[in-house]
Parts: sequence; C-alpha cells; structure tokens
Amino acid sequence: MDYINVIIADLSQLSRLGLISLLNRMKYPFHIREIATPDKLTALPLKDQSGLFVISSAFLRQCPPSLVQSLQQRFDSMTRILISDTETVNEHKLRFSEIIDPSDLDKNIIRKLEKQLSLIVTRKEDTESPEGISDREKEVLRLVAAGLTNKEIGDKLFISAHTVITHRKNITAKLGIKTIAGLTMYALINHLIVPEEKI
Amino acid sequence: MKMAEVIHLNYHLLPIISRFGIHLGFGEKTIEQLCNEYNLDLNFFLVILNSYHDKDYFPRKHLQGFPIKLIIEYLRKSHEYYLSIKIPLIDKLLKQLSVQDKGISGESMQLINKFFSEYKHELSAHIQREEEKVYPYIFTIEDAFRQGKSNGDLVALIRKYSIDDYESEHDNVEDKLYDLQNIIIKYLPPPLDMNLCHTVLMEMFRLETDLYDHARIEDMVLVPKVRFMEKWIEEHFTP
Repeated sequence: MDYINVIIADLSQLSRLGLISLLNRMKYPFHIREIATPDKLTALPLKDQSGLFVISSAFLRQCPPSLVQSLQQRFDSMTRILISDTETVNEHKLRFSEIIDPSDLDKNIIRKLEKQLSLIVTRKEDTESPEGISDREKEVLRLVAAGLTNKEIGDKLFISAHTVITHRKNITAKLGIKTIAGLTMYALINHLIVPEEKI
Repeated sequence: MKMAEVIHLNYHLLPIISRFGIHLGFGEKTIEQLCNEYNLDLNFFLVILNSYHDKDYFPRKHLQGFPIKLIIEYLRKSHEYYLSIKIPLIDKLLKQLSVQDKGISGESMQLINKFFSEYKHELSAHIQREEEKVYPYIFTIEDAFRQGKSNGDLVALIRKYSIDDYESEHDNVEDKLYDLQNIIIKYLPPPLDMNLCHTVLMEMFRLETDLYDHARIEDMVLVPKVRFMEKWIEEHFTP
C-alpha cells in the first residue's frame, strides 16, 4: 500500500506532536508534513494528492482571507479535519469531514481518525486501475460508439437494457465524457473501434 | 468610474464591452459618459458587466426588471460574438494544430476537428432556432401582455410551445464542449505544438464560461419573465 499523506497545520508544536503520536498508534504508513505557520502553508507546492489535511482553528484564524479561500480548492481531494474545541464549523468557508476536540479522550480521537482513514484507503483502491474502465465497459463503449441503442447492445451482450444503462453511467463517471459523440471520439482515439465501424 | 480602469481591473470584460459596440480608445471617459455616447442603458450595462465580473453577483430580480427588448438585444449580440468571432477563432487554431501534426496525433486531431465542426453546426442551429422561433414568440407574448389583449389562438400557441421547452435544450450543447476539452486534456496524444494546444484550450474555456453566463441570463431572467406572462395570458384569455 502507498503512503497516506498527512498535512498537519497547527501553530502549537505540542499539539502537532500529540496528533502524530496518535497517528503512529495506527496501522497505516504515513507521510506526515508539519506546517507551523500560514506562510509555510502558502509555500506548499500545489499537488493533487489524497490524504488527510488537519488544521487547527487557531491556525485558521491566523490565515489571511485569500489563503482561506484558496484552501478549499487546493486541498479539495484531501479529507479535511478541523481541530477545535468549539463546534462552530459554519464560521469557516472551508468544509470539513470531521471536527476533533483536542480535549477529547484519545480513544475518541483515534476512532474519528480511523473512520476517515478507512474511507481514504477504500477510495484509493477504487481508482487504482490506470484506465479505469473494465473490459465489459469497453465492450459497451464500443457498441455505443458504433451507434447501437441500449436495447441492441443488451441483446448483443446478453444483458438487460437496464444493465447497459448502468454500464454507461459508470463509463461516463470514469471518463468524464457525457455525450455519445464524445464517447465515440474517445473510442476512436483509443482504437476501440476503427473509423468504418462508426455508422 | 473610468472605463479604462474597469478593463485594467478585469480584462475578461473586453469582449463584453465590444458586444455593446464600445470601441477602444475611450481615453478618460467614464462608464456613464460612454453609455450616453453609445446610447446604452447605463443600469443594464452595469448589471451585465458586474454579473460577468463577479460569479456570485447575479441580481436576478433586478435583471428581470429590464425590458425584454433590452435583454434580447444583448443576447443577440452575444450570439453574434460566438458565431462570428469566437467559433471561427477556435476553428482556425484547431486547423493549425492538425496541419502541423502528421503522425498519430495528427489522425486524432482530424477527429477533434470533425467533432468541433459538428459542435459548431449544433451551436449555430441552436442559436438560429432561438433567433428565428423563440425570440419572435417571446415578442408576441410580450405584446399581448402589455396591451392586455389576446385570443384563443395565442393560448393554443402557448400550450403547443411554451418557454419551458426551450430551457431544456441548452444542456447538450454545453456537454459537447466539455467533452471536447476533456478529451484534449486527458486522452489525446500530446500534439507537437503544446503552446498552440494550450491556446486552443484556453479559448475553449473562455467560450464555455461566456456561454454559461449567457445561459444564466436566458434561464434565470428571460425564461421566468416569459413564463409569468404566459401564465397571465392563459388565466385571462382561455376561451
């Protein structure tokens, strides 16, 4: 399994170390990065990464508004956790998956972390295959591109039209292509069909 | 505020002011002075500029207060901008890309060109339908509404074709442009001239944003206004 990236943005060294010690009690291999000041967070290279982004409310208050605004986008693919002893998440523009009260019992904090971490790991496994679409989906895609209707595709592959629709939904979700013309072009570029097959 | 300052603040507004017929070289003139000079409705002009400038600013109620003629005139001008400037520009850039690439990516480029030309036809057909069918229909409705006069024929027309049908037609055109961008970004073998490719993509993104703002005015300002009048006519003149 790959490392799970963790960014801890907290002004206090003690709380950063405290969180790290809790994380180290868990079974996951972490790649932990500590951020002590907002300017260090700004300087963090832009990367599309999954993982855990933990920020304390005190840290967040120190951030200039422009940084706060960009946080949502910059760490969009990461699971965000707020450390705060008052549950006022709505004050912030950022959305959080979880709030951790620093004065909570360690087992409660660990339970919250475990929950988010297991979600991250399952999500990772889901998207692991490089191209994303399965062989069956490729077959469906080929026939969609050739201009067949859902019913005709179903008859050809001995599946119901309903199943064909499910496959098509998955293909669109995986490739991000919605229109038949777009799917056809994808199939042509990837040589799933040759030009003559397109009716 | 001086017009030059507006453009320095946000250069994306350049095509918008040109759509209103304002040419560069306006010196120290303010927005108000230029509106007078070009015979434009100052309030309308400002609301349009602001709604393009700031995504969160969309004074739906305020916009609905403007006369339909003004709104449609503006929509027509943006249509013209898409068809006579934006689309030909992207078309030209795509053709340049495919001329330069002879290899495998060249073949794919031809597919891209074909796809874009289909998109182009679809968009112009859509625009043509709006201008030749939908807008005249809206003017008929508005006339009847303003004069408080109507008859059973108009009610029948509303029942046959109401503005709600028109609203649902936008999506497919938008999806196609999105698919095209997505395929170029994710699945096309990298073209020889990467910079040119980036330029094409950026032009497509600009067109997409512009079309989005355009559709927002149609769907959230024009459609509710017309729907309101349709309802009123149906209530008062159903035979």
